[in-house]
Amino acid sequence: MNAMIFAPELYALCMSAVFFGFTLTRPNSRRDFLMALTFAAVGIGVCLTAIPASGDLFRGAYRVDLFSQVFKTLLFMGLFLVICLCSELKGIEERLHSEFYLLLTICTLSMMMLVSSVHLLTLYLALELSSYSLYILVFLRKREDYGVDAGVKYFLIGATASAVMLFGFALIYGAVQTAYLGELLRILPTVLDQPLVIFGLLLTLSGFLFKLAVFPFHFWAPDVYEGAPNQVTAYIASASKVGAIAVLLRLVSLTGGNSEYLAHALAILAIITMTVGNLSAMVQKDLKRLLAYSSVAQAGYILLGILSMNPAGYTSVVFYAAALLLMKFTCFMVVVKVADDGRNLSVDGLAGLHKRSPILAMALMLSLFGLAGIPPTIGFTGKLLIFTAAIEKGYFVLVLIAMINVVISLYYYLLVIKAAYLTEPKEALPDLAISPPVKALAGGLVAAMVVVGIFPTYVIAVARAVARLLLA
Amino acid sequence: MTPPHPFDITIFAAMATAVLPFIAFGLIIIFFRGRDRIAAGISIGAISTALVCALFLLVKHWGLTEPILYTVRWADSGQWTIPIGVLLDPVSLLMLTVVCAISFLVQIYSLGYMAGDPGFSRYYAYMSLFAWAMITLTISPTMLQLYIFWELVGLASYLLIGFWYEKFSASEAGKKAFVMTRVGDVAFLLGLLLVLLHMGNLNILEMNGPAVAGQMPPATLTLAAILIFGGVVGKSAQFPLMTWLPDAMEGPTPVSALLHSATMVAAGVYLFARLFPFFELSPSAMTLFLAIGTITMLMASTMALVARDIKQVWAYSTISQLGFMVMALAAGGYFAGVFHLTTHAGFKALLFLCSGVFIHHFGTNDMFELGQSGGRSLKIPMICMTIAAAALSGLPPFSGFFSKEAIMGALAELDNPVWLWAAFLGAFLTSYYSFRLIFIMLFPRKSDEPDHGIHDDHEHHEGGYWPMAWPLIILAAVTLVLGFGQKGLDHFLMGTMTDAGHHGAEGGHHGWLPFVAVGLCGIGVVVAYLEFGLPGSAQIGFVERMDRVKQFFAERWYIDRFYRWFLDRIIYGGFSRLFTANDRKVIDGGVDGLGRSTVEAGRRLSDLHLGMIQYKLMVLFVTMIFLGLYFFF
Repeated sequence: MNAMIFAPELYALCMSAVFFGFTLTRPNSRRDFLMALTFAAVGIGVCLTAIPASGDLFRGAYRVDLFSQVFKTLLFMGLFLVICLCSELKGIEERLHSEFYLLLTICTLSMMMLVSSVHLLTLYLALELSSYSLYILVFLRKREDYGVDAGVKYFLIGATASAVMLFGFALIYGAVQTAYLGELLRILPTVLDQPLVIFGLLLTLSGFLFKLAVFPFHFWAPDVYEGAPNQVTAYIASASKVGAIAVLLRLVSLTGGNSEYLAHALAILAIITMTVGNLSAMVQKDLKRLLAYSSVAQAGYILLGILSMNPAGYTSVVFYAAALLLMKFTCFMVVVKVADDGRNLSVDGLAGLHKRSPILAMALMLSLFGLAGIPPTIGFTGKLLIFTAAIEKGYFVLVLIAMINVVISLYYYLLVIKAAYLTEPKEALPDLAISPPVKALAGGLVAAMVVVGIFPTYVIAVARAVARLLLA
Repeated sequence: MTPPHPFDITIFAAMATAVLPFIAFGLIIIFFRGRDRIAAGISIGAISTALVCALFLLVKHWGLTEPILYTVRWADSGQWTIPIGVLLDPVSLLMLTVVCAISFLVQIYSLGYMAGDPGFSRYYAYMSLFAWAMITLTISPTMLQLYIFWELVGLASYLLIGFWYEKFSASEAGKKAFVMTRVGDVAFLLGLLLVLLHMGNLNILEMNGPAVAGQMPPATLTLAAILIFGGVVGKSAQFPLMTWLPDAMEGPTPVSALLHSATMVAAGVYLFARLFPFFELSPSAMTLFLAIGTITMLMASTMALVARDIKQVWAYSTISQLGFMVMALAAGGYFAGVFHLTTHAGFKALLFLCSGVFIHHFGTNDMFELGQSGGRSLKIPMICMTIAAAALSGLPPFSGFFSKEAIMGALAELDNPVWLWAAFLGAFLTSYYSFRLIFIMLFPRKSDEPDHGIHDDHEHHEGGYWPMAWPLIILAAVTLVLGFGQKGLDHFLMGTMTDAGHHGAEGGHHGWLPFVAVGLCGIGVVVAYLEFGLPGSAQIGFVERMDRVKQFFAERWYIDRFYRWFLDRIIYGGFSRLFTANDRKVIDGGVDGLGRSTVEAGRRLSDLHLGMIQYKLMVLFVTMIFLGLYFFF
C-alpha cells in the first residue's frame, strides 16, 4: 500500500486523534479552536500537494485520482472555513467543544473517503460514518428542545434512506454479481434495460439524495438547519453537500450517459425538489429555515446538471459544487456572526445590517445574488453552465421550469436583502464587533464570488478535467 | 444638378439660419436663465442674423429655376438611409423670409410687451426654440425631417401658449392645443408611413415628382393624401380640429401674433403648398380639402360675428383665412394660396401686435371696454389696426385685396360655382366683423361703469411703447406695398413649377370678379358702420338680435361641447373605463393573483413540512414505489 497517496486521509485521521486526546483533558475552548484552525489550514496544503496523486488502494476498493483529490481539497476547505467561524461556539456547551471538533474532523474524513470509494461497501461505510457524526453534531445544540427534535428526525430519515439504499445495493449486486464500480461501469450500460437494475440504481442513489436533500428525502432539512448549532448548519449546508454531489456524479456516470429512464426519474425529482424548495422558502420567517429550503431548491438545480449525463453537465455540476460551497458558507457566516450568542436568527433580525456591519451586509447580498443567479456572480456562471448543458441535451422544458423557479427564488432572496439593507431596526442596535480576520475572510469571499463569476475560465478548466475522469 | 459644396455660401447661409436660433435657445436655457437682458440680446441677435441670411438667400436666388438640395447622411437603419439637409426652392425661400421677418419683429415687440415679466428669459428661450423649429421645418428636404420639426413646432407652441402656466386656463389651453394637433399628427404620420412603404423614401422632391403616380395605386395615393392632410387640419385649425386655436389666446399676445401668422398655423398650409404636386395627383382628395376649407372658413367667420374679446375675433379670422388658403390650394391655385399665406402673415401679425398694445395698455381684452377707455387715443396702433383690418377685409389697395382676388380667381376657374359664392359670403362676413371691431373701438358709447384701475395700468406699462410701435409701423408699410409685388412673386413662385396648367394671378379672365368682391366688402363695411359707427346706433349687430343664433355662434357651433360630451361619454365613460377595469382587474389582478397564489402555495407546502415524521417517511416510500412502477412498466 502506498501511504503517500493516502496522505490527506491519514492527516485527517491524525487530526481527529489529537482532538480525541483533547476530549480526555480539561475543556479549553481557545486551545481547541486554535489547534483546529492550524490543523485545517495545514490540511488544505496537504490536500493541495496530494492533488496529482493517483492509484488504487485496498484491493481496488479505493481509488485516488484527480476527481477524488479535487473534491477532497474542497472538503478540507469547507472544514477550514467552518472552523473559522468557531472562535465563539456559543451554541454548544463549552465542555463539548473538543467533541465538536473531533466529530467535525471525522465527518470530513469520512466524506473524503466517500469520494474515493469505488466499491459499494466502502461507499456505504463512509457514508454512514459521516452521517453518524452529523447526527451527533446536531444533538450538540445547547437548547435541548431544538437539538433533540432535529437530531431524531435527521436520524430517522437518514436511517430510512440508508435502508432504501442498501436495498438498492442488494438489487444491483444480485443482478450483476459485482460491487466494484469499475466493473459496474463496464457491465451496467449493457443491462440497463432491465427494470431491476435501473430501479436498484435509483434506490442506490437515495442515500446521497438524502445527503443533498432532494425530494422526497429532504424532509429533515428545515428542522435540522433550524435546530442544529449555527456552525454545524454551516457545515451541513456547505461541505457535506460537496461530498454528496461527488458520489452522485460517480454513481450516475455508471450508466454511461444513456439511461433515459433514470434521467426521467431524476428529472421528476429535480422539478419537485426545486419547486417545493422555492415555494416553501417564500414564507419562512427564520433565516436558517429559509436557507434550508433554498438548499433544497439548489439541490434541484444540481440534479438538473447531473441528469444531463453529458460532459458539459458533469463539468457544470463540479463548478456549481464549488460555487455552492462559497455562497452557502458566506450566508451562514453572516448568520453566525449576526447571531453572536448562538441563537436562531429571523429574517427581521437582519434589520439595519448595512449599518451595523457593511462588509457582512455586502457579503450576504452578493452570496444571495449568487444563489439567485444574478450576474456577475459565481452563481450566475454556475447556473448558466448547468442550463446550457441541459439545453444541449434537449431538456428545454426542464430549463424553462428551472428558470421560473429562479424567478420565484428571487422573491425571497430579495426579501432577505431588503431586510438587511432597507429595513430599519425598531431600536438602535450597536455595531457588530467583527474581528479583522473575519472581515478579511468576508472580503476574500466577496472577491472570490465576483472574480470567479467574471473570469470563470480557469475554474471551468479544472472542473472539465475532473469531469473527464468520470466517463473514462 | 451638381451637389453643392457644404461651404457654398448659399448652403452655409441656410444652415446658419436654421442653427443660430437653436444655439440661442441652448445658451439661454443653460447659461442665462434669469439674465433677462443677455437672454433677449442673444435671441434677437440670432434671429436678426437669420433674417439677414434669409433676405440674402431670397435676393441671391430670385428667379431660381431649379431647387437647391443639399443633404448629409444622418443615420443608417438597415436598408434605410435617413438624410438631413436643406432644400431651397421658391416656396421655401419665401416662407423662410416670412418666418424670419415675423419672428424678428415679434421678438423686438416683445421687448416692450414682456418687460418685467418674471419669465422673461424663458420666454426668449422658447421664442428661439420656436424659430429654430419653424425655420428648419421650412427648409426640410425630406418629410421625416419636416415631421420631426413639425412636432417641435407643436412643442414650442405648447410651451408658449401655456407660458403663464400658473394660470389654470393657460396650461389647459396649452394642453388642448398640443393634444388636438396631435390627433391630426397621428394621421399625418400614418400617411407618411404609407408613402414610405410604397416609395422607400420620403424625399420631398421625389414625392412631388412624376414617379409617385406609378409607384402608388390611385386609391392608396388618395388615402395617403387624406392622412397627410390630417396634419394640416390639426396644425392649421381646420374643421373639425379647429377649437384649440381660440383657446390658444391664453398665451402672451406676441405669441399669438407669431402663432397665427408665420409659425404654428402657417406650418399646416405650408405643408399643403410643399406637397402641392403630390396632393394634386388625387382629385377626389382635393375636392375633400376644398370642402373642409370652405366649411372652416364660413364657420369661423360666423363665430367672429358675435365675439367681444378682441383677440378672439382675430383668432376666428385666422381660422377663416386659413380656410381661404386651403380653398385656394385645393382649387389648384398654388400661387393664390401661397400669396395669401404671405400677405396674411403680415397683416395678421400686425392685427395681433396692435391688439397687444391695447391690451397691454388698458389691461382688458373686451373691445367695448377698450373703446370706452379711450382706445382711439393711441394713434399709431389704431391707424395700423385699421390698415390691417382693411387688408383682412380685402379692400384695395392693401395686400389682402390682391391675394384674395387671386383666390377668387382660382375659385372662379372651378366648374361648380358653389365654392365661389361661399367665398363671396366669407368675404362679406370678414369685412363686416373686422369693421364691427374697428367701429366699436373708434366710436365708443359712454359707459355707466367707472373705469376701474385702468390708470394704474397706464402708468405701469408706459415704458415699452416704442419697441412695440416700430414693428407695427414696419408691418403696416409692408401691408401697404406687398400687394403690388404680386406679379414678381408670381413669376418667382411658378419658376420651378413645370406644369403650366397652374393658375397664377389670372383674375383678368374674370373682369367682373374684383368689382363684385370689393363691392361685397364695401357692403360689409357699410353695414358695420350703420350698426356700430353711426352716431346714435345701438351697437348691436344683426346677428346679435337673434338670440338663438348668437348663442349658437358664441358657443362655437357647440363643437367644443360635442367634444367634451364625446370625451366624457364615449372615451372616458366607455373605452377608458373598460380599459381601466381591464388593467385593474385582469392585468393587475392577474399579476397580484399570481404572486399571492404563489405565496399561498408556498405556505401550504411549507405547512406540509410541519407534519409528523411518519407521514414524511410514507411520502418517501410512496414516491420511490411510484418511480419503481415507472421503470417496470
